Amino acid sequence: MSGKGMVGGALRVKGLSVADGPRWVARDFDLEVKPGAVHMILGERDSGKTALLRTLAGLAREERGSISLGDAVDAGPRVRRRAARFITHERGLTHLSLLSRLLLARPPRRLGMLIHGRRGLEHALALAKRVGLEGLLEAPVEALRPLERRLLDLAAALDDSPRALFLDEPTSELGPHEARHLLHVMKAVAREDRIPIVFTSTWARDAYPDADQITILWRGQDPVTVDAAQVTESALIERWTGGSPRRSPTGPHAPGDSLLRVEDIVLEGRGRETSLAGAAFEVRSGEVLVIVGAPADGLSLLHEVLLGQRAPSRGSIQFLGKEMAATDRRQRVDAGISFVNPPHARDQSLSHFTVEENLILGQTRRGPFSRRGWLKFESIRGNAVRSLADFEIPEARPRDRFDLLGLGFRQRIVIAREVLRNPVLLVARSPVQGLGLEAQEYVRKALVLQCERGSGLLWLTEDPEEALRVADRLAVLAAGRLVWLPVTETLTREAIIDEMSGHAA
Amino acid sequence: MIPGRVRAGWGPLLGNVAVFLLLAAGSQLLAPGPVSWDPTTWSWSWSEGILVLVNLLFLGLAFVVPLHGGVLNLGVYAEFLAGLTVASVIGSVASIDPPVRALLAVLGGAMAGALVGSLMVWMKRTFAVHEVLSGLLFGGALLPLAREMPAPALGVGPQSVLAWGIILLILGVFLSLVFAHFLRASAPGLDLRVVGRNPLAAVAAGVNVDAVQLWTLASGGACAGIVGALGLTTQASTVLYWPLPLAFAGITIAVFGLGSVRGLFLSSIFFAVWLHEPGTAVVLSDPGLSTLIAALLVIPVLWTLPRLHPDQGAPRAVWRTRHRETY
Repeated sequence: MSGKGMVGGALRVKGLSVADGPRWVARDFDLEVKPGAVHMILGERDSGKTALLRTLAGLAREERGSISLGDAVDAGPRVRRRAARFITHERGLTHLSLLSRLLLARPPRRLGMLIHGRRGLEHALALAKRVGLEGLLEAPVEALRPLERRLLDLAAALDDSPRALFLDEPTSELGPHEARHLLHVMKAVAREDRIPIVFTSTWARDAYPDADQITILWRGQDPVTVDAAQVTESALIERWTGGSPRRSPTGPHAPGDSLLRVEDIVLEGRGRETSLAGAAFEVRSGEVLVIVGAPADGLSLLHEVLLGQRAPSRGSIQFLGKEMAATDRRQRVDAGISFVNPPHARDQSLSHFTVEENLILGQTRRGPFSRRGWLKFESIRGNAVRSLADFEIPEARPRDRFDLLGLGFRQRIVIAREVLRNPVLLVARSPVQGLGLEAQEYVRKALVLQCERGSGLLWLTEDPEEALRVADRLAVLAAGRLVWLPVTETLTREAIIDEMSGHAA
Repeated sequence: MIPGRVRAGWGPLLGNVAVFLLLAAGSQLLAPGPVSWDPTTWSWSWSEGILVLVNLLFLGLAFVVPLHGGVLNLGVYAEFLAGLTVASVIGSVASIDPPVRALLAVLGGAMAGALVGSLMVWMKRTFAVHEVLSGLLFGGALLPLAREMPAPALGVGPQSVLAWGIILLILGVFLSLVFAHFLRASAPGLDLRVVGRNPLAAVAAGVNVDAVQLWTLASGGACAGIVGALGLTTQASTVLYWPLPLAFAGITIAVFGLGSVRGLFLSSIFFAVWLHEPGTAVVLSDPGLSTLIAALLVIPVLWTLPRLHPDQGAPRAVWRTRHRETY
């Protein structure tokens, strides 16, 4: 399955115009992705990356322009759909084993009807070997780590001998070291099969070291394509965000009382997810503690434990001296803990509700927004007006529908709601993921400011860069345990990534 | 934002109006023999008309109230049968005075319907059985029992039936208005809307999703149970003439009313009038024409129900059994 017999060809786009609903994603866009090249489309969430990728893959019709794939000049959507493979995060088929999943599309057959067992196994093994999953053929898909699932998606797509591959945000659930590994495999596949690979990402770092070119989408402006070899990552971020990257005024924060004490938390991971093996830490008043790690290395588990969704099998969680391990999220919120999740999280806002309704979510059981069970509309409206002014969201009005706002503004509203509760402890999980740099800076400042008012801030993230920007203390979650790193001027992103991947000296 | 209500411009409303006009005019036109187009000449029984209106209103409420909490109450028929069965049992106790017996029958029917609704939520919470499935299963299980029940003579005269119809109509209208105001202006109403729209966000906001779904389905069940108790009165032509299974009467009323309580009330009135058109009874007695009408009644579901569903990623809140997953 080395793909030597495959007909490779470049992806050529000329004068392409793509619309995503009422807005233009690209107009008169030209692009060439050579065989064997990996091309990244970079942009914040809702910037139209997926719409552009779907159009290139033939899943959506272009408004104007031509797209050629190999020898298929000016290929229509149907031709592109047949020739290329579009890979998104597949949520179904999790009950299958990896072997069955790989044989799903084209199982070798005997007499045209029966599946040929031996040849099927060889075929699946060959596909799995290409992405390094040959040791997991019998494992159920639901037990795989996110990286392994992405690799499996890639291997399954290769079964069709595609002439191009399109991957929609393949690194969104991965730690930086895992993302690098995936992109390295993608690069190897592109080279071996002489096919173009295009993927989307919200992380500028994903371009390095394996992408050849990057197309930048930024807030309705015309897409710009640059060579990865000719721009540094910071220059890329600057071009992407329309401004220079700045560092937040992070502190130092005066250490204070202990707010949250987590001791020797043990919790078994699902499937091949790394278990928590005795994580212990303490969050103090007025400090930002950052725990950085890949979601599958225990970060998601730790987050679920803190949210009260899963109870640890061993260990304790003490908040203000009171044991909270067996309490649910509601009790924790009532005790003074607030949670801010990634902007795209479905559990922290109501898209079809109004801004003012989202600003009082979970706060109507007692004053000031309700009295004897009835809502106080004046208070609710006043709260919305004040919050929108305080958090600099001039374009929104209290009665506007929440989902009509940009992602950055939506996250500001969520933070406004949580901060206005004046929580004792804020637990933030990747709160700036997928936002433009400007919005990222704002969200960071808003959270850190709350910390400076005396709250504790526990920041869980998979992004080392983000960790460096806000941390007073920093720990890396690797193999289910915390490794503490001193936050100094010399601490680098690479050092954190090495620690995450277990390659630290 | 009220999750159970359609907010999609004038399209669905105009579509529903067009279908209803087609239904009303078509029934008159297709009816064999001469039919009068003058409503003043139609034979009209006030007590029956009011009872039909009450039936339709409560059946609509039985579907709409749980729908606002993200629960699809296809167990309306089961709740109706439970109400009918319990009311039959109470109605057959001859030692109780007829007026008291009628009151107890209505209360017992409501409680039996509420119990079936509660059981559906309990099965959903405990065994992850979707409410659509449990509703249909309960309906199938209760049908033989309801058939075996003798139809007791309540011993109440036509005037009493009319009085009961008026009382229940006032109650239905009052409940509708209270429910609409409750949804819009109360903190528990906001919780209900949040549950209907996004159970994950509701859990995160500290709302007890299971409790909210329990009381909405129990309330819906009680409404269907009241209709079951009213089934003891022979005048209730909803049961006799409705071309689809009775559970679908509630869905039809809810769908034609675009999920809003006001719309529910209006569509109940329109359908009660339609059922009393002289052509309707004739047309519904013809199997072919009855099928055609049933198809017409179902059509608005195509453009209304998808918009009634709570979203949060398509109709997840309705179709997913559990709400305890992470984002």
